[in-house]
Order: sequence, then C-alpha cells, then structure tokens
Amino acid sequence: MRPGAAESDDAALLRAVARGDEEALAALYDRHAGWLTVRMTRRCAMPDVVDQAVQDTFLVLWRGAGGYRGGGDVAAFIWGIGIRRLIDAIRRESGARRRPPWRAAEPEVVVSAEDQVLVGVEHGRLGQALAGLSPELRSAIEATVLDGLTCAEAAVLLGVAEGTVKSRCHRARVALRAALAEPPSGPDTTAPRREAWGTS
Amino acid sequence: MTLNVRTAAVRADGLSRRYGATRALDQVSLTLNRGITGLLGPNGAGKTTLLSILATVNEPDTGQVSVFGLDPRDAAERLEIRRRLGYLPQELGYHRHFTVAGFLDYVAILKEITDRRRRAEEVARVLAALGLERRARTRIRALSGGLRQRLGIAQALLGRPDLLILDEPTSGLDPEQRLRFRELLSDLPGDPVIVLSTHQADDIAAICPHVVVLLQGRVHFAGTPAELAATAAGRVWAAGARDARAHLSWRGGDSRWRHIGDNPPAGAELVALTVEDGYLLLSHAAGAR
Amino acid sequence: MMSSLPGQAGPPAGADGHAGEDLLAGYAAGTVDGVAVWSVEAHLTRCARCRAALSGHVDAERLAGNRSVLLVRAALPEGGWVRRLLCRCGVPDHLLRLIVATPSLRRSWLLSVAGVLAVVAGEAAAVTHGWLGTGGHMVPPGYLDPGVLAPFLLVAPLLVLAGVAAAFLPVFDPASRLAVAAPFSGVTLLLVRTVSALVAALVPVVAAAFVLPGPGWLPAALLLPSLALCAFALAAATVTDPRAAAVAAGALWALPVLLLAAAHVPLAIVQRNAQFACAAVLCASAVVLLLRHDRFDIGWTR
Repeated sequence: MRPGAAESDDAALLRAVARGDEEALAALYDRHAGWLTVRMTRRCAMPDVVDQAVQDTFLVLWRGAGGYRGGGDVAAFIWGIGIRRLIDAIRRESGARRRPPWRAAEPEVVVSAEDQVLVGVEHGRLGQALAGLSPELRSAIEATVLDGLTCAEAAVLLGVAEGTVKSRCHRARVALRAALAEPPSGPDTTAPRREAWGTS
Repeated sequence: MTLNVRTAAVRADGLSRRYGATRALDQVSLTLNRGITGLLGPNGAGKTTLLSILATVNEPDTGQVSVFGLDPRDAAERLEIRRRLGYLPQELGYHRHFTVAGFLDYVAILKEITDRRRRAEEVARVLAALGLERRARTRIRALSGGLRQRLGIAQALLGRPDLLILDEPTSGLDPEQRLRFRELLSDLPGDPVIVLSTHQADDIAAICPHVVVLLQGRVHFAGTPAELAATAAGRVWAAGARDARAHLSWRGGDSRWRHIGDNPPAGAELVALTVEDGYLLLSHAAGAR
Repeated sequence: MMSSLPGQAGPPAGADGHAGEDLLAGYAAGTVDGVAVWSVEAHLTRCARCRAALSGHVDAERLAGNRSVLLVRAALPEGGWVRRLLCRCGVPDHLLRLIVATPSLRRSWLLSVAGVLAVVAGEAAAVTHGWLGTGGHMVPPGYLDPGVLAPFLLVAPLLVLAGVAAAFLPVFDPASRLAVAAPFSGVTLLLVRTVSALVAALVPVVAAAFVLPGPGWLPAALLLPSLALCAFALAAATVTDPRAAAVAAGALWALPVLLLAAAHVPLAIVQRNAQFACAAVLCASAVVLLLRHDRFDIGWTR
C-alpha cells in the first residue's frame, strides 16, 4: 500500500468516526490501537492505565472533539491526543505508585544492518550525544521535546516534581551541547542537520 | 445467620400469599441448589408470586425464606441477598427511549457497580454473552420482542449473580434462540443457583436437571424431569382413533392419536413417556380436585 | 508541539525502508532502548505497514477486550450541558446517570410544563394589560384583579408536585421492580430523583411567576407551598398507596385555592398565614419521612 493511500484512508475514517459511524470507529481502532498501546506502555508501565488511556483517546475521536483539520499524519494527530489522555489517566490514578517504564538491563536485541541505517540517528553525532545522557535526562528530553509536553505534563508522566523536570532538561541541554562541541568519535554515516536546541 | 455461598441453597418453608380472595401460594416449600431448577405450571399457578418472593420484591403472608443462609425479613440481610441477585421479572418494562447500552448501564448502577470502567466492562461482557453487541446503540422501542427478552436476560446477568431468578425467560424466543439460551445458562461462571419459570414442558426437559411443578399455588412435584415423566408410566398410549376414556387426546404428527389417562385399555400400545405427559397428568389430577 | 527529532536524517534508507521484525518485536517487548526507540516511533508515525506489523506483537486478547469496552462506552449517551455542569460541580457519574432516567427530566415533560405555564401566566398577563377582555366588562389597563392570578396559583405548585410524583411513583418507572430487587439504596434513588425533579420543575415555575403581573414577592412565595406539597406527598406515600398520596397532596392544595378564589381572595393562599401553614406541613412531613424512609427500600407491594 502506498503511504499516500493509507493516509487518505485514515483521514476518511476519522471523518466517518466524527460523524458517528460505529464501524469506522472499530476500523480505526483495529488500525491504530496496537501501536498506540505499545507507545503508551513505553511511557507508563501500568497496563490498566494504558488501557484506559487508549479507550479515552478513541472516545475523544468519536466525540469529534479532536478537531482534525485534515492534512498531516493521522497517526501523529492520534498520538497528540493519546499522550494527553495518558497523562489524565495517570493523574486519576491518585495514590497509585508509579513504577518506571521497564528498561532492559542492556539492549538485548541485535539490530540488523537495515535497522541500523533506519536508526540513522544512532550513528550520528547527535545520536551519540543523546546516548551518552543518563536515562532520567533522556526521558525528560523525550517527554518535553519528542512528545511535546509542557513541564507540568511531563512531571505527571515521569512521576517527579515539575522543578525536577525543568532542571533535568537544562542539564540535558548542557550535556548535549558539550558533547556536540567535541570532535566526532565514530564514522559519520549521515549528515545530521545541526539545529539549535533553543536558547539558554 | 452466617452467609455461606458455596454450599448453602435457597430454601422456602410454608410460603403463603393471598391477593384479596385469591390464594396465590399455599404452603409452598422447596429447596433450590446450584444448577438450574425449572418451575413448571400454567398461568395463574403462582409462579410469578413465588419468584418475586424469592427475589425479595414481595413479602409472603406466612412462611420463611432463606437465601444462602440470609433472611429477607432483616433489612441488612435483604441487602446482601440483593447484592447477589439477578432478576428478570415477567413483563419487564423498559424506559423505551433508552438505548440498549444505556439501559444496561442504568441497571449496572442499580447493582452498585459505581466505577465507570467496571460498568463498561460488565456491560460489554453481557452484550457479548447475549449477542447484542451490534445493538448497543439501538433504542429499546425499536427492538423486537425476542431482542427485548434477550436484553432482559442480559440485565439479569450483570454483576455475576449467585442467584438468578428468571420469570418466563424463553417467552418470545424462537427455537434457535432457546438453544443459545440453554448454552448460555450451562456456561455461566461461578455456578449460580438458577430458577426459571415456564409453562412449556419441553423447556424443562431440555434445560433443567430439577423441576418443581406448581399448580394452583401448591407444589405437586419436585424431582428430576425423568421422574416427572415416570409418574405417567402406564398411562400414556397411542391408538389409531380417538379414545373417549382418556383424559386428554390429541392427534400426533404421524396422524395417530395419543392419549393420556388413568385407565388405558387392555393391550394398549404404551408409548415412550415425556415430561409433558407427567405434567399433563398432574395438571389434570389437580384440576379434578 | 509534535516536532521531529532534530538532527535526524531524512527518510530512513535500508533494504526496504521499514523497520525489521526484530526491531518491532523488541520495541513491543520493551527490550529496545534509548534513542533507537525514538527513531522507530518517528517512523511508525508515517508508516501504516509497520504499524500493522507492530499490532501483531500486542496481546490480541487485550486489544479485543479494550475494543469491546470502547464500543460500549461509545454507545452510551454523552449527555448535554447540564450533565457536564453537574459533573464539574462534583456530582458522581453514577448519580448523574440515575437522574437522566427520571421521566420528569425528559425534554418532552419539561416542554409540556413550560407550555402549561406559558398559557396560564400569559393569559393572566394579557388580561391585566388589557389585551384580552374578561368576558364582558372591560378592565382598565394596569389594574390588577387578583382573580386573574387564581389559575396560575392553582396550577404552578401542582405542576411541581406532578414532576416530583413522576419521579417517585412506580407507575412512572418502567423498571421499578428491577430497582427494588437491586441493592442500590432505594432512599438514595428516591432522593436523587425527587430533588432533581423538584429543581427542574421549580425553575420554570419561578420564571413564569416573574412574568406574571402581581406582587413582586410572588415568585418567592411559591417556593414553600411547592416544597410542602411534595414533602407531604412523599410522607403520605410511606403510609398509604403512592398514587393515593399524590392525589391527596394535589387535593390538599387545590381545594383551598379554589375556595379562596371563590371568596375573591386568591392571593391569601400564598400570604403569611398560609406560608406558616406550609412550613408546618413541610416540617411534619420531613419528620414522618425520617422515621419511615425505610419503606422505600422494601418496595411498593402493600
């Protein structure tokens, strides 16, 4: 299936869902619930909370409140809603202890050559710099940059205070700048764009 | 009284109830164990009254009821009974503007499932059990009689009750739906006590390992369907023509006449007994009194 | 908001440009870590094929379970602005759903109530302002004939009583036997329904009273009689047949109103002495209700 065709299918499904077509909702779920569940589970280890958040996400789409304007990745749009539903679900789990997302003791998967190229960043300088961060700093960056959360939302997700999130982001930026300023330590197979991480 | 759900049963002793001049129940005593018990009797026999008393909706004039060791006359114990109860009344009324899912959600709240998530899971479970998933958004007023009956059974199953009281659950169901219903009942988790009433003997024969025959407010038989059929031993015969001595005669599908009566002619061709034969004999005997 | 990872190279190259099975499996199992994950996630955002492949690594039963619960939640009615408002005020969700089941809160009922009030109040206003003649003699515009208010005074509290009666009478609850056989507290159910019916009925009544020409204190003066009537009906329902109780309450109001209207002092029914009487009835009924509220749990069988 060409990427374009899948996209327009998804957009049409979304519109049908917002109109109240139940079968479209089921079809949309069948397409997107799988990756949504996995992606959420990476950020929150409690399966009940993830299940709730997945349901809530599709309910938002069903009630048409998402406001998909057309154009752009449907999956990205769904994730934008999903991550906020996940945070709400975590908030509602008042009093529950949060376990950190599971981490392997060390990466066990032997990644094939194609995958290594796919994961182009890994061999880029930025990738090395990121890999050099400690896990807390990396997860802070992941929450604020990759998922686009505010510091308050990231604080809920990570289970720490908001001030902690801010300071970790700051330390991460400092560490990255320092790492990028050094000469490259491995073969530069890709030419990453050097984008500013923002001021400060 | 202590609650013992695992081994105790439902017991009724000497229940009597009258409505004005009519005696709906007269010294009814029975015991219900885990598994399915059928309550067989014609309309007006007192089945609905008896079931409503067991469901704590009605109070007997005299007599005692014990449900899992709990007494419905005590308010706290009555509440405990109701927590373990699933009830399908005869001619259940529905809020017609409700949707199927909305109605089940409402009943789930009445069953004290206050957590929204658990409620949705329970509703999804019973919808799947009764094959009503595609109708979740249909308004009740748009449902056919059979579907409404299935909805009634579905609401009774909410909350996984330990005591399931179904008043005429198979009325309005076609044969295939009756088959599904039987499968459903035999597959219920938790092995509850199930009592269902019907005036059709073949429902009893197909589903119930125990049967109680209620006629004119009194228990006339309590035992297995085979025993009920056996009470008609020697009193059911077939012939080529109608026999005036029989209490009841009808023409079978093979255009032979089937007779039930106390005095079969000598050398009459006795036929295999059915539950219905036993029931009809009892019914006739009770009417003759 | 959603930004792609700065520094990442363009579309991933590779044998076919997609994530391999091992990587997807590792991602699903949580064994792939660090920055590789970010690339996978960024790719999944754009690639339907890999998303589908990833679904194969998720527990099918879990997905199916969520699917059926989702469809149930989608099938439940969401409710309008009133529900959202009440939710925000902290009313628990399950109580809201019970309120929704009350017949006197349905749009059709409320519209009928509004219609009756509009007719009665409108007629009174029209007569007073001279738009309508009162069968014969002309009324100078602006002159308030108290007799004009009599229909409204008769009807308004009865409408409130009717709303509350519809909330608690079993004949109005099709599934009343289910409610009795269920563990949910009958008293709570009753309270929730009658209070919401009361509020829903009082709002149009009070609003119509403002429209009515007449003393400025009229809207407030209607509250106590309405409350007293409803409390009386409920208290009487614990003693006798609920329908008879509702009818008795209605008669208890209608007779004095009609008598006073015949004696040309219709407003007396809402003036001071009557207000004291209503307060007394309200208190007495409240006491009876407190003592006998368990009757609502047993069922309406006797």
